[in-house]
Amino acid sequence: MIRNYLLTAWKVFMRRKLFTAINLACIVLTLIVLMVVTALLQNAFFPTGVEGKSERFVQMIMFQSSHTEKGGRRSGTLGYKLIEQYLKPMKGVEAVSASAFPESVSVYQQDRVSELLLRRTDTEYWHILDFKVLAGRVLNADDLAQGRFVTVLNQTTARKLFPGQAAVGQKFSAGGQTFTVVGVVEDAMQLNAFADAWAPITTLPSTEYKDKLFGQFTAMILARRASDLPAIKQDIMRIAKTVQYDDPNTFNVARFWGDSKLELFSRTLMMSETEDSGAAKVVAVIVVLMLLFMALPALNLINLNVGRIMERSSEIGVRKAFGATSRQLVAQLVLENVLLCLAGGALGLLGAAGALAWLESSGLIPYLKVDLNLPVFAYGLLITLVFGVLSGVVPAWKMSRLDPVHALKGNA
Amino acid sequence: MIRLQNVSKTYRTDKVETLALKAIDLHVRPREFVCIMGPSGCGKSTLLNLIGLMDRPGSGTILVNGAPVSSYQDKHVARLRNDTFGFIFQSFHLINDLRVIDNVELPLLYRSMSSSERRSRARAALEKVGLGARMDHYPNQLSGGQQQRVAIARAIVGEPKILLADEPTGNLDSKMGEEVMDLLLQLNAEGTTVVMVTHDEREARRAGRIVRVFDGQLVYADAHAEAAEAA
Repeated sequence: MIRNYLLTAWKVFMRRKLFTAINLACIVLTLIVLMVVTALLQNAFFPTGVEGKSERFVQMIMFQSSHTEKGGRRSGTLGYKLIEQYLKPMKGVEAVSASAFPESVSVYQQDRVSELLLRRTDTEYWHILDFKVLAGRVLNADDLAQGRFVTVLNQTTARKLFPGQAAVGQKFSAGGQTFTVVGVVEDAMQLNAFADAWAPITTLPSTEYKDKLFGQFTAMILARRASDLPAIKQDIMRIAKTVQYDDPNTFNVARFWGDSKLELFSRTLMMSETEDSGAAKVVAVIVVLMLLFMALPALNLINLNVGRIMERSSEIGVRKAFGATSRQLVAQLVLENVLLCLAGGALGLLGAAGALAWLESSGLIPYLKVDLNLPVFAYGLLITLVFGVLSGVVPAWKMSRLDPVHALKGNA
Repeated sequence: MIRLQNVSKTYRTDKVETLALKAIDLHVRPREFVCIMGPSGCGKSTLLNLIGLMDRPGSGTILVNGAPVSSYQDKHVARLRNDTFGFIFQSFHLINDLRVIDNVELPLLYRSMSSSERRSRARAALEKVGLGARMDHYPNQLSGGQQQRVAIARAIVGEPKILLADEPTGNLDSKMGEEVMDLLLQLNAEGTTVVMVTHDEREARRAGRIVRVFDGQLVYADAHAEAAEAA
């Protein structure tokens, strides 16, 4: 029976090549967009590679200060003092890192000037993030302690500054400081890893950063186990209540939160200033948008399929007259749709892989490295099957319920 | 075998209600060759469709082998159509995307049967209608008469107890019509019950019994038929 169904499906597809092509294009284009978006979202919120430990770390960027009576209020990024004095002593965590936001510096080399994004970090930063070292080493505790002017470059920057040469051991001048390259790591575009070059925090031109609660720093707190994170988040909120201001007349209440990558994105987007980052709402909005995006081609497919199935009402009438049950007919017609959608899914996967490869190589998103991994493939397959069933089951069921004589006459 | 008791059928549209059949009582016995005759639009095809469970009556009862089918679920009616009836349509209703052999196999798809047995039965049915050499052709590569013979092969491949034919020669020239009629008579002689709708008085006379329909009601042209019906 399946052979007959497949044979009929193939003939039907081939008989109406334009219709089949429109159907496929509809599925393929939708899937490409959905899969590229899912791959980018997954890469952003649940990355592998350099931020592969993200399921067991929280990060902090924003810090709010206010006064209970005077109404003063300030919202800004973390200062080193806040991390050093309040977060680093946290108990029950594996590591707490501090790193500055990347600063733009000019690099002078003989006859040319390049702009680099330089990020100053501590050593825990290198423990939390899994950079792939291509040459030399990453920054260590001695570099920090002694304030060594050493730097790690990413692969692209190493090639750019020292074309055709080994970068490790080379010196260059950036922002008025001369650094020696001690290592080269693979390019990475994730939020916490993003930079062209890294140097020890202790190479900052001034030590003023050590005394400030507000500053240009970000913190990552790595738990020993992912299951420890809820308790760590609670602990962070508790610690916020213990922050002491130099001038309590200006601010006397501090608030900050430890967020996962998705929560941080949601908090920033929703400008949330509560324990709830708004991640659930953001996820709901993304899901609704995806469903809406899928609904349009699905409705179009239903429309096209109603036409296709109506056109085949004589065949449906004949099959019913010779003993096909409604269920068997629905199975046959939905199978045809599912086959078409799976073919579209396979083409969509190839198309999405091509689109992502193009995105990576185009430089539109610097250092983007994204793969169509198994979860994304599973989403794609699921979406494809939903397409198949959504667009086939309604018209198929409607037609299959007709008495054979009406189907033979095309009286749907 | 098949009995219609006080069966009526009305077609409704938004504005018009048409009584297609009115209080029909009819009994089709095993091995009979029954011809349904009447002017166009009198309800002949509607009657045939009701006998073959292709349509549902508005009122009345249809009994197949003594059991009323009104309470049957979709799958039971489908099983009955598959086991008991074979249909031949005026416009053939072959599936043009499938080869002749695949068309003939179609009723057997809905039975639990190996593909080799299906294929061998379909081949035998095609041999019987004289189209053994055309198995791999597509319907639109055949003449009208050949297509109708494929349709007959499809109707008989499942060895149904009753063959229902709706003007099977209506789209054929007289020679091909004659061939198809001979085939139906041969099948009837071999034991298959045949119920056929026709306009052709000459064809009808070759059948065993003529049932005449006029304005949705049965009228008996000959005493033989009336007596048989009353029995």
